Amino acid sequence: MNFELPKLSRRDFLSKSTLGAGLVLGAPSILKAKEAGAPADDIRVGFIGCGKQHEVLFNAMVNIPGIRYVAACDIMKARVGRTYSTIKSRFDYGIQRYLDAREMLEKEDLDAVFVATPDFWHAPHAIMALEAGCDVYCEKMMSNTIEGARSIVEAMDRTGKLCQIGHQRRSNPRYRFTLDELIHKEKICGQIINANGQWNRALSSSQDIVSKPSILPKADILKEFGFDEGADGKLTEEELRHRFLNWRFYTSLSGGPISDLGAHQIDIFNWYLGAQPKSVMASGGRSFFKDREHFDNVMCIFDYDTPHGNARAFYQVLTTTSAGGGYYESFMGTEGTIEISEREAYTNIYKESGADSAKWDKLVNRGLLKKEAAGQAAGGADAIASYESAPPDKYALPGGLSKQPHTPHIENFYAAVRGEVALTCDARHALESEAPIYWVNPAANNNEIINFTEEHLHT
Amino acid sequence: MMSSNENTCSNDLGLSLGMILLRLWLAARAIQTGIEKFGGSKPIDSTVLIDGAPNAYGLTETTADKVYALSNYNGVPAPLYDKFSNEPFIPGWGLNLYDTILGPVLIILGLTLLLGIATRFSLFLMGLVYTSLTFGLILIKQDAGIAWLGVHIIMVVMALALAKYNKFAILKKW
Repeated sequence: MNFELPKLSRRDFLSKSTLGAGLVLGAPSILKAKEAGAPADDIRVGFIGCGKQHEVLFNAMVNIPGIRYVAACDIMKARVGRTYSTIKSRFDYGIQRYLDAREMLEKEDLDAVFVATPDFWHAPHAIMALEAGCDVYCEKMMSNTIEGARSIVEAMDRTGKLCQIGHQRRSNPRYRFTLDELIHKEKICGQIINANGQWNRALSSSQDIVSKPSILPKADILKEFGFDEGADGKLTEEELRHRFLNWRFYTSLSGGPISDLGAHQIDIFNWYLGAQPKSVMASGGRSFFKDREHFDNVMCIFDYDTPHGNARAFYQVLTTTSAGGGYYESFMGTEGTIEISEREAYTNIYKESGADSAKWDKLVNRGLLKKEAAGQAAGGADAIASYESAPPDKYALPGGLSKQPHTPHIENFYAAVRGEVALTCDARHALESEAPIYWVNPAANNNEIINFTEEHLHT
Repeated sequence: MMSSNENTCSNDLGLSLGMILLRLWLAARAIQTGIEKFGGSKPIDSTVLIDGAPNAYGLTETTADKVYALSNYNGVPAPLYDKFSNEPFIPGWGLNLYDTILGPVLIILGLTLLLGIATRFSLFLMGLVYTSLTFGLILIKQDAGIAWLGVHIIMVVMALALAKYNKFAILKKW
């Protein structure tokens, strides 16, 4: 076990990484990773970041065979200890524990590394791991800045290692089936003209995270790791610890709710519509959490020229209200609407009354759809016949996912490390999808429509 | 006219039956709550067929069977465990210990109460367990749960008050 404090700060790393890359490339004996496809033995895995998202990822992978957990690091000692205990109790072997990612990467022989640190550390940690010869699974957003995200793509290209970004819906069978079979092949939506997505989160789920002070890192460590970045003046230990636990609230450490929650779903807009948007307009406010740096509620509209015509996509992220259907992405076409969510409970499919019923019945008979209910008019004395459209019939997907939502994405990553498949969301494709998201906050801040150019979106 | 002796016997019978009911209720409550901590669900997945063949995407239909196993054990449910772990009044080692023993303790106390082994001490210890649970719920402001546990404590106290009418006990001492 090694709890020596780190020697290199994030700022140092960012300023020296190009030089570091040269040194790293010149030391192949240290950096050589196992050839993809070659190992029949276990994939040796390390973790950078052992917080809540690490737990989500770990719980999603514990039943995947052929993995040997080797090491974990986090600047919070208690978290590393918890990861150690979890692995020890479940697999009956210990792992090496570190506070410093660089030291872990230097000392351990790892095939794959999972990066689940705060957004502003994603790029430095992912690049470190790639340059150390590891294949990387990095949580989204790729970075808190588009430059950081681009630097991951550049490092992936330079090192030739794999880098999967944690847009886990890209590997979800429900999402893949819906796109390939229902939208592309059977074209059940007709022409998709509008998309609508949301993540409505209750106020109770949006509160500050607190923890026992005794288990939190000291001020000097937090400063060493850049948690004072962007702050005006000197911060107290309490303020630094608040930033450490609640980095999502600070503009220099994260992209805020549109990035934390919206990135997953705006990614689906781009993936399903098969295009990058050509513009974004947005509005946001600190309407409830007035002391937070990021907007607590954001609404935005993307305009697309898709292969099938013009379309618009509206997205909202609320941190003060959960009502309204939770979180989903809806694709509204001339013949049908697919409202899909990572939660099966929020997933619905609707057939427009004018769509070809025989075609939909045939899809049900073939097993591609399940019919849930015939459309029922709301009726009532206030209904004015000339205003009303005939109600749509309701359908469902024919099946679900019997694993945790992140499991297929991690399975895809491990299979790619073994050379068996291609990644479903490598860093370049992830950035194509993430790039427009980086411009939502600026559009809202400046009350302007941003018309995207190559400079905005290039990867 | 009924003699006073017959009257006393009749009252004693009622109180004895009342005590048996309390023992049964409190025992069932404790034993099954303890057993449920070993409960889990075993999902049974079947592949979705499209055009009569297994789909290529991995879509499944899942049904779940309830099963009990030692490996399912969770003394303190995970959402509560996370909340308690951030409470300064609950040390980490204490929470771990509590998590480990809560299920077995409930089952043992339920069985001793059901069989009538040291009934009064069993009731007292059961009351302490419910008090400790109440303490945790006070910390995380679960008022409905606190009230519910308060009802348990009242039933334990009623059983203690009726202890002298306890029948069908293996070990009457204590």
